[in-house]
Amino acid sequence: MRRSDLGEFEEVVLLAVAALTPKAYSVAIAEDLEKATGNTITTGAVHAALQRLEDKGLVNSYMGEATAERGGRRKRLFSVTPAGSRVLHQVRTIRENLWSRILPHALPKVDLAR
Amino acid sequence: MPPRPPQWLDKILEWVCVDHLLEEIQGDLHERYSLRVQQVGQQKAKHLYFREVFSYIRLSNINRPSSTKIFTTPMFTSYFTIAWRNLSKHKLYSAIKIGGFALGIAACLLIMLFIRDELSYDQHYPNKDRIYRVVGLFNDNGEIERDVWFPAPLAGVLKQDYPEVELTGRINPSELFGAGSNQIRRADVQENSYEEGFTYADQSLLDILQVPMVYGERKHALDKPNTIVLSKSKADKYFPNENPVGKLMILNNDEKTPLTVGGVIEDFPANSHLSYDFLITMTGREFWEGEQAAWNNSNYHTYILFKKKIDPAQVQNKLLSILDSYYLPSMKKNGVPDPENILAKASFYLQPVTDIHLKSDGIHDSLTHGDIRFVYIFGAIAAFILVIACINFVNLSTAKSANRAKEVGVRKVVGSLRGNLINQFLAESMLFSFLSFVAGILLALLLLPYFNSLSAKTLTIPWQAWWLLPGIALSAVVIGLLAGFYPALYLSSFKPIDVLKGKLSRGSKSSLTRSVLVVFQFTTSIILIVGTFVIYRQMNYIFHQKIGFDKDQVLLIQGAHTLGDKVKTLKNELLRLPEVKHVSISDYLPVKGTKRNGNGFWIDGRKNIDKDVSAQFWQVDENYLQTMGMKLVAGRNFSPQLASDSQAVIINETMVRKLGLKDPLNQRVFNWKAWNVIGVVEDFHFESLRDSIQPIVLALGNSPSILSVKINAGSDMQQLLQSVNKVWREVAPYQPIRYTFLDESYARMYDDVQRTGRVFSSFAILAIIVACLGLYGLSSFMVEQRSKEIGIRLVLGASVQNIFGLLTLNFVRLVLISFAIAVPIAWYLMQKWLEDFVYRTEVSPGIFLLAGLAALSIAIFTISYQAIRAALTKPVNNLRTE
Repeated sequence: MRRSDLGEFEEVVLLAVAALTPKAYSVAIAEDLEKATGNTITTGAVHAALQRLEDKGLVNSYMGEATAERGGRRKRLFSVTPAGSRVLHQVRTIRENLWSRILPHALPKVDLAR
Repeated sequence: MPPRPPQWLDKILEWVCVDHLLEEIQGDLHERYSLRVQQVGQQKAKHLYFREVFSYIRLSNINRPSSTKIFTTPMFTSYFTIAWRNLSKHKLYSAIKIGGFALGIAACLLIMLFIRDELSYDQHYPNKDRIYRVVGLFNDNGEIERDVWFPAPLAGVLKQDYPEVELTGRINPSELFGAGSNQIRRADVQENSYEEGFTYADQSLLDILQVPMVYGERKHALDKPNTIVLSKSKADKYFPNENPVGKLMILNNDEKTPLTVGGVIEDFPANSHLSYDFLITMTGREFWEGEQAAWNNSNYHTYILFKKKIDPAQVQNKLLSILDSYYLPSMKKNGVPDPENILAKASFYLQPVTDIHLKSDGIHDSLTHGDIRFVYIFGAIAAFILVIACINFVNLSTAKSANRAKEVGVRKVVGSLRGNLINQFLAESMLFSFLSFVAGILLALLLLPYFNSLSAKTLTIPWQAWWLLPGIALSAVVIGLLAGFYPALYLSSFKPIDVLKGKLSRGSKSSLTRSVLVVFQFTTSIILIVGTFVIYRQMNYIFHQKIGFDKDQVLLIQGAHTLGDKVKTLKNELLRLPEVKHVSISDYLPVKGTKRNGNGFWIDGRKNIDKDVSAQFWQVDENYLQTMGMKLVAGRNFSPQLASDSQAVIINETMVRKLGLKDPLNQRVFNWKAWNVIGVVEDFHFESLRDSIQPIVLALGNSPSILSVKINAGSDMQQLLQSVNKVWREVAPYQPIRYTFLDESYARMYDDVQRTGRVFSSFAILAIIVACLGLYGLSSFMVEQRSKEIGIRLVLGASVQNIFGLLTLNFVRLVLISFAIAVPIAWYLMQKWLEDFVYRTEVSPGIFLLAGLAALSIAIFTISYQAIRAALTKPVNNLRTE
């Protein structure tokens, strides 16, 4: 699987799946990402990303239990596959590699608290 | 209870999304909604929900394949296995469904063949877009008369005066000049044969039409005097296996002027407006002195081939100058009163050759025409039959829904998706559609000969056409899908829990549509039944109307003009036979297809004062009136003893009226010379009963081609024909006798009426069958729906009659409504049809009553099968599941 096949949003969703397992499903991921980024994230967008990830074999899914808020409907739960895990690790390695090579004053200073 | 999001958005989602994704998507949406209501309040949550829903409307959610595949080969075979089992389980029902559909398809196919043939007329000429026929228009006080007979020199003038014209050609198909039918033989044999399909034609006509040649050169086939061109089939008959070009043929025993065969053409195809077997050249021919230059008699059809890139509409307007420069001088010379006024009403129209077959309504041109209106009507009927058949098919499928509901329920519980069920029902409908198409085509093949006699055509199914089989297969698929779509959606929408609990969906919502369908079908049926009755009554009227002459027991011996003077001998010999009462020699008979001769008449001495009365001027002999059984109302018959009778005429009552004669017997009438009126004959019909009786003038004269023989009633026909044949053989040893009977010729005049009658009755039968199938489907549907009600009624003591009444009453009401709608429409249509006839029967209320009763009893008969069956079932069968 080529890395370039993983989009930026997909990467974030894949990480969220990993973070939220074993309770990773569209709504939880969308809520999480919305909180983290401050932007409105629709479940539709997350759902689409998950579908793509599943097509690429990076996640698995199965139907979970039903809840009252869902009107008695079941949810689809996701977990990362070995292939997904490998991709995540690769991405992480590349990023960390790059971070470690940045010289101390190469980046302009920003106030991260703002 | 969690808060509910806006429902209409959910509906959109349900409608758009594939079934297998709906659960998780809707669950996600609802959960998020309830979270949002807590976080930001209901108002904002609704806004966001809208965005959420639309974020799901993506192609991947609309057509994403399920992990359980709908189309797999074993599943596909299973669909057809199940469909086949269903079909063979309900044999009668399947037969009705397939039979009805097949009938519709067969009818549709035949009508399409008919339309295709009608539209193919005259499409085969290489220059068809440049070939036109000249039509004369005469505006008779608002009524436009159209006419294609023109003077001989017109063609020459068109070519010479108009540079746009490339070629002009004429034909003269008039019997008066010897076209039509003749005796012909090879110059080296004695025996004559009788042939039809003669015409006089110009060499240029062959060039215009680019008639394909078998022998000879087209350019020179008719360019020499006394040449003749034969069709291939006739050439094969007279000159088998040889090239006849240059050989001689003898026409009507006229050995002094033999005809040289100039060429052989391919037979005119059946879809050509012209169809002649013998073309005699006009080169060097003049029927009387000055005829070819005369503008005062019109016997020629004129065709034009325009040069390329010419707009005939512009030439058409320029043609008006012909009236002034050629017609006017001729009319003035002949003393026609007020010629400018007459010519002001005349104009020309150029008719494309491809329009001649279908768009020549009202033009009398000695051709048999189609009618563009029939093409439209038949096309509409074909579409109508197909739609009705499809609707019946749908109805019959949904009618069995109760039976299938349980199957649907069980399938769904076991895990079938709606898509699977839809596919299954579509597969079933496809199977039915294909079987129906096969049956329909077989039926069409079977009915083709009958249809051909009905439409007077020789149609065949064009198997060799590349598009036919794929076209039929495609139609089968499309119609199968269309007809199966509604039942598939309807049946697959059953909720398993309702079905398995025993709750049947009522389906009464669509009962209005069903009723309208029944009314529609029965209205058409009743209209067609009334039409059939009226047409047969008119036929009956035609054959029993007093027609002014006695058409029975008259033998017509044809083709006697070749005998020359011996025709008198023949007459005398025939009179010696004991069975023969009278014999008359005259070609002018009161039936269609015999000779006609129109003349303008005046009272003697008023020629340049009055407008002429156009009358038939017939040459007869002194025995004509007795032979035909016509009655004199005044004066006397011709007498051969009186030499002065060669100047005498007998006129009919209409002529007396038209000329306004007070005392006809002492008057003289004038056409080109003056005639003494010696008698007045009672009006007799000599044309179709469509037209009123026209004025007629009978004079003694020589017209020797037909002998009419009046036979004593009660004679032995067989023996008489033998003796007549013997007499003929003696007089004319080299010519086969040809005879017919006057009453047969009379009947032949109304062939088209009889054909219309047969067309109507065929369509009536078809409409009734289709309507009955629809009714059968509906009644079985209704019985299914009401089976529990019927069961309860039976338990509570209802009689079989009660149930029968209950079930039929509704349909009887529908048929009565149809009757009420059909009566005015049928009355109007048949009144219109009868207007074609000046002499006609009237549309009486009895006909409507009879048609209504027929429709009603057929309807009740159809329903009664289901109704009686329902009333006789044991109630326990219907109620045991409760």
